Amino acid sequence: MKIVNLPCKLALFSLFFLLLTGCWDQTEVEQLAYVVAIGLDKPEDVKEGLVEITYLIANPQSGAKVGGDEPPREIISFSVNDFINARNLANTVIAKQISYDLLRFIIVSEEFAKDDDFIKWMYDATKATDFRRDLRILVSKESPSTFMQNNEPLVDKRPHKYFDLIFKRGKETGTIPPGELFSFYRITESDANVFLGVYATTEQEEEGARQEDSDQIIAGEFDSSGETNTTQFAGSAVFKEGKMIDTLTIEETRLSFLLSNIFEKPREILTAMPDPFDEDYQLTTRIQRDGNIDMNMDLEKEKPTIDVTVPIVLEVMTNHSMNNYSDDVKKREKLEDSLEDTLTQKFEDLIKKTQEEFGAEPFGWSLIARKEFLSIPEYEEFNWMKTYPEMEINVNVNLRIDKFGRQIRLPDLDEVRD
Amino acid sequence: MLQKLFRGKKEKRAYNGSKLDGDMSKDNSEKIDSELTKTVNIFKTIYSYPDNQDVTIRNIHINGLNKDGALLFISTITDTKVIDEYVIEPLLKNQDSEVKIDDLVSVPSISKTTAIADICTEVNNGSAVLFVDEETQAYILNASNFESRGIEKPENETVVKGPKEAFIEKASTNISLIRKRIKNENLVVETQTVSKRSNNVAYIVYIKNVTNDDIVDKVKSRLHTMDVDAVQNLSLLEQYIEESHVSIFPTVLNTERPDRAVSFLEDGYVVLLMDNSPDSLVVPATFWSFYHTSEDHYLRLPYGNFTRVLRLFALFVTLFTSALYVAVVTFHVEMIPPDLLLAIASTRELVPFPALFEVLLMEIAFELIREAGLRVPSPIGPTIGIVGALILGQAAVEANIVSPIVVIVVALGGLSSFAIGDISMNFAIRLSRFIFVIAAGVFGMYGMVALFTLGVFYLVSIRTFGVPYLAPMTPTYKSSKDTIFRKMLQNEIFRPGYMKPKDMKKK
Repeated sequence: MKIVNLPCKLALFSLFFLLLTGCWDQTEVEQLAYVVAIGLDKPEDVKEGLVEITYLIANPQSGAKVGGDEPPREIISFSVNDFINARNLANTVIAKQISYDLLRFIIVSEEFAKDDDFIKWMYDATKATDFRRDLRILVSKESPSTFMQNNEPLVDKRPHKYFDLIFKRGKETGTIPPGELFSFYRITESDANVFLGVYATTEQEEEGARQEDSDQIIAGEFDSSGETNTTQFAGSAVFKEGKMIDTLTIEETRLSFLLSNIFEKPREILTAMPDPFDEDYQLTTRIQRDGNIDMNMDLEKEKPTIDVTVPIVLEVMTNHSMNNYSDDVKKREKLEDSLEDTLTQKFEDLIKKTQEEFGAEPFGWSLIARKEFLSIPEYEEFNWMKTYPEMEINVNVNLRIDKFGRQIRLPDLDEVRD
Repeated sequence: MLQKLFRGKKEKRAYNGSKLDGDMSKDNSEKIDSELTKTVNIFKTIYSYPDNQDVTIRNIHINGLNKDGALLFISTITDTKVIDEYVIEPLLKNQDSEVKIDDLVSVPSISKTTAIADICTEVNNGSAVLFVDEETQAYILNASNFESRGIEKPENETVVKGPKEAFIEKASTNISLIRKRIKNENLVVETQTVSKRSNNVAYIVYIKNVTNDDIVDKVKSRLHTMDVDAVQNLSLLEQYIEESHVSIFPTVLNTERPDRAVSFLEDGYVVLLMDNSPDSLVVPATFWSFYHTSEDHYLRLPYGNFTRVLRLFALFVTLFTSALYVAVVTFHVEMIPPDLLLAIASTRELVPFPALFEVLLMEIAFELIREAGLRVPSPIGPTIGIVGALILGQAAVEANIVSPIVVIVVALGGLSSFAIGDISMNFAIRLSRFIFVIAAGVFGMYGMVALFTLGVFYLVSIRTFGVPYLAPMTPTYKSSKDTIFRKMLQNEIFRPGYMKPKDMKKK
């Protein structure tokens, strides 16, 4: 037998090594269809056990130099068993392999979210490997396919960009909760709190227009006009035990942010507060939580009590009653007291609502409460969800006024008019 | 002592050299004849006179002594003016009958010999030989004058701040450049003949009371075991004495800067010089010596370290950008930010090739431009740049052969590769880059990481003249820690410990 020399052997070895072990079945980027959002809905007139899936697919060609006139997105809806199976069925229409790499949202219709069976489909997402755990859950008032079709941003046309920006901004202003998938699972499984999903709609309500308080609205109630998109993202959808039960307004969502240590602090909550010096006007304030809230729990008693101290730092941005606070200590004290009272009242109202209407809190206080128990069984025995509505909760707002806008002084109106 | 060390080798060499024994000029036993005409005839045969054009034999009559004499030299490598003024003229004009030849001739160096072989060696090295009738010994007059160019600026290792002299093709000048920097009697320049037919000589330079004897001996033994007819210059010598001949990493440093060679000498390294080489070899060379430049130390500490950071960054960019692009685009799509992913996907939409092939295509094109640009005659040089950039970059993108992002990726990697100044390390990095691209195309990020790990294993395993390649980092040695970053000059106290210098402390 002829002896093959070493370089030859090495060349053969590396050739076979690459051929036998390499990943030759990979898919190139341009051969994938990127789903940005999946819609889940209960189909009408179809047998039980099916859901209507809607895919919102981003078109990479949009805005490109070559073929830039293609539309930025593609929407397809169909009924199927689940969204894992749907990947193959979608290919009867869509040419490319469906990829969930860019998937950021699951849009659920309000009707389906309120269904008892909803949670069963949500758990499909834990099975598929390419589902990110930080997907956001978005509840739309209408069906997801309608929502996606109606959602036509005029400027940020590319869907992934549009949703990214909306959520980034929503997080900063506190108008919508984070609504992440992993916290949905965690909260549902720990069975002590309610989960807040994002609430959105493309249908503007006629009669809801012109609310007295501009913050007391949910998506669909914001009255805007002009030439723009009709989609609104505002407020939260409340999920208890994996089922939607109610909604929270923008203000309530923001208050939840302030009352919770587990939510990231929104950077700029701009809101109006009553002016203690003139009933006609309101003060616009920028509110931030000044560090973590302090909780004092006494859970041993017959009626457990919780004392919550919320540190708030606040900036007064407008001053329509033209009071010069900086000159007068008494005025400042009065303002501080008034703002503290208003905020305390709002917090108490929200807590009362969660106790009476939801029977559970969205603030994640159960996590803090666990420390009060020596063992998990003791905590489970206590049953936070069941006890919560009975608790006595005292809210104390620790308010600090940071500044009065960039220019502190305002001219004396009488002198100006003189 | 050396002879004792290499006795075994010498015997082997003598046996191998037997083919030369027939060569008359090499017979050590043969002596010159006292009769001038006979001696001259012997040399006429040896040097094929008068067919050999530049071999000159000048017969003279020495006045005073009243003797005949003959001068033998090769005119092209001898300073004829010196022979004319200081040899021929005094001999012809002499009137004194008692004077010795040694006192007559006024060249700076004169010696006597009888063996024909020795005479031949001297004549081949540019000396003139004077035979005198009725004398059994010949006078060797040193008047050699080999042509070479003057000292110029370094071409490959340019610096902005620092000396701008470079080695030239004349070893004696190069040694002078080194001695100019180390004015110390302990600087030793030894010679060793490394080839048999052309008699090429290598100069081994080291500082006697710093450099470890083992390393000097190792270098000498490597030079000794070479068994070749001719070694023209150091670039060839390097390949005879290096550790592994197929390894892609260089183990001998080539530098054309005398200041760089001297800084190595002062740290206890051995420097080799040769005629016909406008550079020097530094042995042993660790990985870091290829990564450093002399300017790192000439610049102030923050500036020097800034260039080091840039170079390190460039090294990794060269190694990994193309591979990373291939890996991420083919296997790790979820790693890319959505905007970038869609941008890549949209540019790839019209490209007919898979990402791996696309990148390889551009890489090869880049290497082609580079090689062609190097070989092209200088008058048409500038055209290559324009043609390369325009045709291959712009047109390839417009024809949808490659995507614009690939052009950016390959150009970035290609440009960064120029930041690694040493040509050997430059090749090592450029070759590894191709392996990385293929690994990334077949196994993705996993392949890259595996290959990198293997590469580090390999780097750690290399030894050069007994010194670990990554020393003093791995394994750790006492040193001034001049590796990725350099320290303040005041804190560079130690010579590198892996060289085992006789004097460890610099300060």
